[in-house]
Amino acid sequence: MKKFVIALLSGVMVTGVLAAEAASAATVTNKDSETAVLIVVEGESRVEVAIASGATEMICPSGCFVTAPSGDRIGLQGDENVEIVNGNVVVK
Amino acid sequence: MRSVGKLPAILVCLLALAVGGPVMAQKAAQPAQATTQGAGQKSAQPAQSAQTPSQPAGKPASEENAQPAATEATPDAAAPAATATQPAQNAPAPAQDAAQADATPPAENQASEQLAKAGEDLKKLTDQVTKTKDDDTALAELKVQVDALAKQIIGVSVSTRPRLDEIKARLTELGDPPGEGQPAEADIVTAERKRLMAERGAINALTGEAEGLSIQATKLSNTITATRRALFSNTLLKNTEVSTGMFDDALTATADETRVLSRSVGSWLSFAWNYKRVPLLTALFLSLLAALVFLSGSRRLFRPLIEHDITDEEPSYFRRLSVAFWSTLIPTIASAAFAISSFLFLRGFKVLRSDIAPIIAITLGVAVVVFFVTRLAQAVLSPRDARWRLVRVSDRGARMLMIAIFAMALVNGLDYLFGGVSEALGSPVVLTVVKSYIASIVIGLIIMASAWIKPTLRKDDSFDAHGHAWPRVVSFALLATGALLIIAAVSGYVGLARFIATQIIITGAILVTMYIGILTGRAVAKQGAFAETAAGRYLERRYNLEQVALDQIGLAAGLSIYALVVMFFIPLILLQWGFQVADIESWAYRMVTEIKIGSITISLVGILAGILFFALGYAVTRFVQRWIDGNIMARSRVDAGVRNSIRTGIGYTGVGLAGLIGLSAAGIDLSNLALVAGALSLGVGFGLQNIVSNFVSGLILLVERPFKVGDWIVSGTTEGFVKRISVRATEIETFQHQSIMMPNSLLINASVGNWTHRNKLGRSEIAVTVTYASDPRRIMELLSEIAAAHPMVLKNPSPSVGFTAFGDERLTFELRIYVADVLTGGGVRNDLRISIYERFRDEGIGAPFPVKIEDVPVEDQTGIESHQPEKVGEPKGATSAEARAAGKSAASDRKTAVAAPLDEERDTEEAGNRRAASRRANPNR
Repeated sequence: MKKFVIALLSGVMVTGVLAAEAASAATVTNKDSETAVLIVVEGESRVEVAIASGATEMICPSGCFVTAPSGDRIGLQGDENVEIVNGNVVVK
Repeated sequence: MRSVGKLPAILVCLLALAVGGPVMAQKAAQPAQATTQGAGQKSAQPAQSAQTPSQPAGKPASEENAQPAATEATPDAAAPAATATQPAQNAPAPAQDAAQADATPPAENQASEQLAKAGEDLKKLTDQVTKTKDDDTALAELKVQVDALAKQIIGVSVSTRPRLDEIKARLTELGDPPGEGQPAEADIVTAERKRLMAERGAINALTGEAEGLSIQATKLSNTITATRRALFSNTLLKNTEVSTGMFDDALTATADETRVLSRSVGSWLSFAWNYKRVPLLTALFLSLLAALVFLSGSRRLFRPLIEHDITDEEPSYFRRLSVAFWSTLIPTIASAAFAISSFLFLRGFKVLRSDIAPIIAITLGVAVVVFFVTRLAQAVLSPRDARWRLVRVSDRGARMLMIAIFAMALVNGLDYLFGGVSEALGSPVVLTVVKSYIASIVIGLIIMASAWIKPTLRKDDSFDAHGHAWPRVVSFALLATGALLIIAAVSGYVGLARFIATQIIITGAILVTMYIGILTGRAVAKQGAFAETAAGRYLERRYNLEQVALDQIGLAAGLSIYALVVMFFIPLILLQWGFQVADIESWAYRMVTEIKIGSITISLVGILAGILFFALGYAVTRFVQRWIDGNIMARSRVDAGVRNSIRTGIGYTGVGLAGLIGLSAAGIDLSNLALVAGALSLGVGFGLQNIVSNFVSGLILLVERPFKVGDWIVSGTTEGFVKRISVRATEIETFQHQSIMMPNSLLINASVGNWTHRNKLGRSEIAVTVTYASDPRRIMELLSEIAAAHPMVLKNPSPSVGFTAFGDERLTFELRIYVADVLTGGGVRNDLRISIYERFRDEGIGAPFPVKIEDVPVEDQTGIESHQPEKVGEPKGATSAEARAAGKSAASDRKTAVAAPLDEERDTEEAGNRRAASRRANPNR
């Protein structure tokens, strides 16, 4: 019985992980020395995304609005590479 | 439609590029100027310029920049925003701008126009959605349009991005405005910076507006999805077209959803970990604490109820039932409480985000439900321990069934879990449909497969024997149900299939639990069953309860288990069928507050309140009664009869008042009672006459007090002590301890003799017969002496002796004495007779007759007997026992062989015995 549960759960998880691997979205890299907090508006939710210094995050696969630490707002289509430099969002 | 939606976006981009071109050219000229100026400034103040870039806190600088930009932007942005929303005013604005300078580039105008148009489109689409909210196909088309619009809105804001980048680049070139104490820069630089900042603010405002519109569009899109999903879930008989295209769509959607899910969960986790670490950890800690309290606490607390007792070789059916019921119910409630408290902790500490909260909620909910079903299956099947199995199936069969049930519950649970996730993430409806489609088919297959399990056992098979196939009906039902599910799903009735699958699993589980619960209740309520439970044994040991009391407790326990089952599971089933909590609440509320039958409204709460008030009034009455009786009247030495009357009066009044209060509390209008009383009075006239007259007579007895409790009364043929005066009748206990209920009206209407009315003084007589040979004066003297010598004979009124009759061969005397308590009369008489006998024997005074040895016919005896003066001292109608005793003593007094009066029975044998007794007793023989 327990083995059965474990097998099922692991199956579900593997599927999830595999599907998650195939993700493609806008990548945001923080080039600043401090953690940057972006406000990402995607769909109907407004989400604060924290990106540590030097870290790269994937955000909004299907287009979103981002408010940079500098206060600038930009729209992203979902396939851009974005860098955060001095609190400004720079789209490459 | 899609291409039409995309077209404006592409156009906007192209236009933006076209407009951006000249602007860039213009700017390209300007930077040269600016850089030379900037260079001049920098060379003039090298130290300052060196400091500015080296300020490591790039963030404060940028914040400073951003802050003013934002604040400045707001008033500036107001103008373009206003123009955007009101296109009519838009026309003069560019003209003005053109006249002033080329301050507002055409790219922004274009973008704001586009946004205004998108806003209008969105409005139209919203209206259309509200109109066609029942048409799935139209909604699907509208959703495509809304999604395209959302893309278009993002496109608009993307088109302004190059301009923003330029502005930022130019601003960087211009450098920061000079601080205080620094030489002022050229006016043209200040003006340009100002202009650029304004433009930046305007673009930001525009993007903000686009953001708002995009949110609206997504919301609309999600609303459409939710509506369609609701249409799918709520319309059982809706046919969905099942095609390969659907599966392709679903596959894509699954990939998208998984990505979105992992990303939102990941970003939430990293966000929570980085910024809300303390609340997150606190919430987790509290959840664990809750788990400790609920899960292991309940296990520890209810261990005897929910755990299999290994030492119990053959647990009784009742024990198995109760363990199954409680071991399902208690851990389920505990885990539900744990899930709810964990969720509340997470939400209370604001760790949850709006997109994560529903996912976590549904995960916890599904986990609890799957746990419940598994737990129940385990309790009923008990695959590990055959002794505790409720149904008679083989070990292997139990294991297989357990797996089947668990798999079904899991698949159904996952269906709902993924459905909830899709809903939270706003995934397409097709995903929900496909998931339910797969889940229904899988469950159908499992049900069909379980038809081949061989769990049943013959009568004398042991549990580890190889089982036999299901009875044909069961296996056919299983196959049919499974096939029905699969056919329903395949033919497109996915909603129906899902509903049936859920009902089979969840409602089935709930019903099974209910059934077990009811069986447990019934088993507990059975006579003698409760005494054998652990609780019963404990109560018996602890409180020394009798069997009857235990039985009553068992009955109450059975009823409360019924109540628990009904109150807990029926709402659960209703909830499961899609009723809302508020509905059930209002039903329950109405059930207890107003049940309408025709025009009559009955309120259970009111009736309960009435009963409560009545009980309260009754208790107060009893207390007042006791208090007045025990404290006031006992101390004032009030007569016992008066005390009794007052106590009874208070009792009647109190109970009457309590009844009235109770009635009005129950919501019964007292004016309605007048009607009833009117009708009753007619009935009283005919049928209830006696009862009422008895009641009133009882009241009169209490007031007039012709006798009181403890009095010795005679009424008609009834004689005895008054034990109790109650509403209808008075209880009289005869000397033989027979209780006679005498209607009060009889006691009022007939004459009642009371031996102890004012005082207990009473007269007693003793008849004495002697022969003619005796001296009467001497006899009277002797008798007076004897009476005076007795301590209990009163001196005043003094005893007297009367010479009452000349009989055949005998003289009759009567000694009359007074005693203080008439109740002691019998004893005193007895003493006196003994004294008389002894004294007469000593004095040699003979009895009147020689003893007759020969047998005398009984009739003759009675003839003689009838002449005998009866002893008059005894109250008439005294108990036959006393009469007999008196008769015997009289016989010995008379010193005759035949003096004994015969009893009612006139038993010759007894008469013979008596004769023998009197012969023995006669000293003159």
